[in-house]
Amino acid sequence: MTRLLTLISAVLLGLAAEAQDVLGDLRDQGLGFAQVTPGKVLEFPRDHRAHPDYRIEWWYLTANLSDHEGRHWGLQWTLFRQALSPEQAAAGWQSNQIWMAHAAITTPDGHFHAQRFARGGIGQAGVTRISRDGYFNAWMDDWQWRSSSAGLFPAELRFTIGEREIILALEATGPLVANGINGYSQKSAQGQASYYYSQPHIRVSGLVRQGSDKTDLSGQGWLDREWSSQALAENQQGWDWFSLHLNDGHKLMVYQLRHDDGDHWLSGNWITPQGATRLLDRSAINLSSIRTSAIETGADQTRELPLEWRLSLVKQKRSWRIRPLYDQQWMGTSIPYWEGVVLVEDDQGNPAGVGYMELIGYQ
Amino acid sequence: MNTGFYWILKALLSHYWRHPWQTLFLTIGLVAGVGLWSAVQIINQHAEASYQQAQSLLGAQASHWIRSRRDEGIDQATYIELRRAGFRQVIPVIELEVSTAAGVSISIIATDLLALPETVFDGEQSTQDFSRTWLEFVQPPYRAWVPAVLAAELDLEEGTQLELRDGRKLPTALIQAREQQGRRVLVDIGAAMSLSGSNRFNYLGVGEITPAEYARLAASLPGSLELIENQQHLDLQDLTASLHSHLTAMSLLSFAVGLFIVFNAVRFSLWYRRATLLDLRLMGCDLRHLLAAILLETLVWSLIGTALGFVLGVALAQVLLPGLGASLQSLYDATVDAELGLSPWTLMQAWSITLIGLLWALTWPLYRQLQRSSFEAGSTDVMLADETTARRRLAFAALLLACLAWIAYAQIETVTQGFVVLGMILFAAAWILPFLLAQVLSLVGSLLPQRYLLGRWMISDGWSQLPALRSAMMALLLALTANLGVGSLVDSFRDAFVGWLEVRQSADIYLRATNLDYQQLEMNEINASWLADSNHRIGVSTRWGGRPALIRGTNPVAPDSTVFPLSRWQGDSPASALKAWREQPGKVLVNEQVHFLAGVEIGESIALPTDKGLRDFEVVGVFYDYGNPYFQFYLPDHVVASNWSHHYSRGIALWLNPQNKNAMQQAEASLKALGAQPGDWISQAQIRRLSIGIFDRTFAITAAMNLLTMIVAAIALLASLLAILHERMPQFAQWRALGLRQSEQLLLVATPLLVFCAIVWLLSIPLGALLSWILIHKLNIISFGWSMPLVWEIGPALQLAVVVFLICAVTLLSISFQWRRQMPQALAQLGETV
Repeated sequence: MTRLLTLISAVLLGLAAEAQDVLGDLRDQGLGFAQVTPGKVLEFPRDHRAHPDYRIEWWYLTANLSDHEGRHWGLQWTLFRQALSPEQAAAGWQSNQIWMAHAAITTPDGHFHAQRFARGGIGQAGVTRISRDGYFNAWMDDWQWRSSSAGLFPAELRFTIGEREIILALEATGPLVANGINGYSQKSAQGQASYYYSQPHIRVSGLVRQGSDKTDLSGQGWLDREWSSQALAENQQGWDWFSLHLNDGHKLMVYQLRHDDGDHWLSGNWITPQGATRLLDRSAINLSSIRTSAIETGADQTRELPLEWRLSLVKQKRSWRIRPLYDQQWMGTSIPYWEGVVLVEDDQGNPAGVGYMELIGYQ
Repeated sequence: MNTGFYWILKALLSHYWRHPWQTLFLTIGLVAGVGLWSAVQIINQHAEASYQQAQSLLGAQASHWIRSRRDEGIDQATYIELRRAGFRQVIPVIELEVSTAAGVSISIIATDLLALPETVFDGEQSTQDFSRTWLEFVQPPYRAWVPAVLAAELDLEEGTQLELRDGRKLPTALIQAREQQGRRVLVDIGAAMSLSGSNRFNYLGVGEITPAEYARLAASLPGSLELIENQQHLDLQDLTASLHSHLTAMSLLSFAVGLFIVFNAVRFSLWYRRATLLDLRLMGCDLRHLLAAILLETLVWSLIGTALGFVLGVALAQVLLPGLGASLQSLYDATVDAELGLSPWTLMQAWSITLIGLLWALTWPLYRQLQRSSFEAGSTDVMLADETTARRRLAFAALLLACLAWIAYAQIETVTQGFVVLGMILFAAAWILPFLLAQVLSLVGSLLPQRYLLGRWMISDGWSQLPALRSAMMALLLALTANLGVGSLVDSFRDAFVGWLEVRQSADIYLRATNLDYQQLEMNEINASWLADSNHRIGVSTRWGGRPALIRGTNPVAPDSTVFPLSRWQGDSPASALKAWREQPGKVLVNEQVHFLAGVEIGESIALPTDKGLRDFEVVGVFYDYGNPYFQFYLPDHVVASNWSHHYSRGIALWLNPQNKNAMQQAEASLKALGAQPGDWISQAQIRRLSIGIFDRTFAITAAMNLLTMIVAAIALLASLLAILHERMPQFAQWRALGLRQSEQLLLVATPLLVFCAIVWLLSIPLGALLSWILIHKLNIISFGWSMPLVWEIGPALQLAVVVFLICAVTLLSISFQWRRQMPQALAQLGETV
């Protein structure tokens, strides 16, 4: 999703000298880079791999899992790519590609995260087909998504967060879905956009190992693939993003790009259990915060964040309350943000699903 | 504080603003002594702190290194394999030495900043530091991060590019440095690979690692690589300890010379305050109050001296550090941070040593003054009697000290003990000096004919100058002796070093690239026209006797192997020892460091760790090996090749055909054709210039300290003479009233002074020789394991005579100027003062 667009650009592009304006680069016109235009047809498996002529790109997996006691767990694994200049990517140490990876785990005992960096061109990180067998492979150091096909699934994902080793088997149970109009996802009225598709139907099973402790986990995952050269408009401060697995089998993705004047850009995708999609525009979505809370973001530092939301879809006549599994799911990475497991309840307060929420750009 | 105490203090301290010259000299003495001492302490502690950081690499932990056993570097694929196997502690490093267009040698270190552990970024204040600066660093056209100090030395401005000798340029400079960068230029791996023309890393740094991960890493490495514990901080401490002891000793000498000035100033301040003290005692002041006031005065002086001295010390350290840092980098591969780090501990040490010095120089004499009966204290007779007694006591103490030094000399085992003995000798000489001067005066006095009145007058004036000049002469003796002794050490070393370079580096070209086919170079007939001889050297790095050691294999019949400069050998001659080494198996040549520091004698067997375990070799020769802090063993190349399978190439030495005028051009063309890059080879002239440059830079700090000590001694002399002038002004006025001309007066005062200085100078010559003899034959061997013949020349001593004469001339000039100014008033006060 538009998500960590901030991170990748502000951190990797590094143009954000003003801490108050970490999203500044996303407003850059991205001149010289390949541009996102309507009408492009996404092609697979080609578009699973990297697009080095675009400025930014990511492979973003979240998973809502549970252990044998039925307790909620969450996992996030993301690989970001950034082109530092519009020239064609050179090989070796001269490469203009930089990679960043984030991983986080929400456990019953707390939230933990990790961050890594690597440069492109030398084989330390990348997203390619393995030449030997043609299978999809995305990696940074020993963090690795290795598919057993040219597509994204079925795959094994291995990564570590501190002492925790995570091994997951990922299997798609439905089709890929294009967001926006056939994958062209508009981000503002001024024309900012990205190519954006998702795989919201992923069966996940695996384990988390820490020393001699081992916990088996299973649940459902959501993968976002997005690339762009210019993503934010001048007057956009940040965004709130949701990916929800509803108990009735529907999937819902909604994001809100917050504008200075309060007239926010809203968009989403309503996905049926069979994989049929309906584009949701701003008139189809009502999104409002119902609780803010101060969470710890560092030593003696707190930030006030809108952690509970009311989300309604006008045409579907559905309404939900979205609240975090617990508040403290803060990503204290180079550019910090909140990303974590949320629980979905219907109007009567009954459990209606699970999902992930991302809040970015709050000071 | 009660009122009485306040008035006592005020009365005592009033001396200092009534005699500003005294105050000034006391301050100068303190500040100079503390300044020189603290400058060296700051440098030593800064270097020490830098060695501690050798456990880190550019801000990241580096507990181990991964190196190629054959010194071939490490390829990118191996590094990536390790990273992909989960060894994120592994960081690639390239180190290069390049020469700038101006001929300055600079070190370059390169790494991948993005590969450093995450914690390193966390400390970087995230966004800002991680911003454009970093990204410009890691991608073409790259940036070169140059420490501010180095940039200033190279006259390099931010945004410009440093040009290298071969015409290439470093990436655009950014004046910035990371931790442990020292004086090195930091560039990205990509930039370093372009510069070196190689795509291999020198080594990989390994960050903090658990025992389990260590075992897994060791098992993951290919056989050509080895995982070595980073013992650099221990090695550096060990290897550089002697150098720092030398510096400390010199700084203590400077402090001692400074203290002589203080002592001198204090004696005058006492003299001037006789009346004040007498009055205070007569007025019934409590002795304890007087003592407390003196202690407070001491405390105030110590604080003033420390504060100003420390400021001077920091400034001096900043001037001296770059040269020393560069030498430590060249000789020991030690990275010393370019930016000076100060610790409060050094300041506290400076204050403690100042306080102790002052307690000795100020408090004790003042207390003794107070101890005397009130009436006794003011008497000139008592002062003169005191002077004679003091001279005798000092002479007695000097003899005692000299005896002790004589006894202790045989027991010297450590550098510190050596310097203590040296200190004892120097102080014995200084303490006996007043007695000697008095003896000479007596002797000259007794020899002078009765009728030679002016001569007799000069002698008596000498007697009256002697007490006042006593400390200044002692300071001068120390400074002259140190100057001659250390100067002679440096000259001897330079002579020995240059001679040794000529023998050891007799080849015309040294090719350092290790990835070339040397056999093709040696065998190809095309090269026969320019190539007269060659020596392909191989080697193995190991540890022996607790230190890093090098086992070297050399062609035993190559021109430089047949003339090894041996200091000790088995059999009749060096040639027979070398013949045995060449022709008989199991013989080894060791460097002097092995002989002196590890105590290995000719004929002894030493066990070296070979592939098949320890193997004994008999020592048949000990060779000079200047500037090398490591143990080194030379064996014929085939012996090394057969005992150490992981030996690596140490480059090849090439001798050009002297008959061929174009040999050098042809050689360079052949080397290029073989695949060597410019910079892979170095000519004999270049390598000698580089070596001697390093040598001179290393001893620059010694020369600077010597000069500063001389300046301090000169100030001591000036201070004493000005004090004499001030004190004796009424006397000089009387002489003038009796009809003596100013030139005659000057002659009267100058002659004894010049005689004293001449005696001091004469005495400093044998003392300087003794000092340098001990430095060369005892301390240098204990410290570095190098021996050399003592070179003693009269030239430096004559130069110092001129310097001493100049100091006297300047002082006398300033005296005559003061006379002119103060005489009218002194004449007017004639009736009042006596």
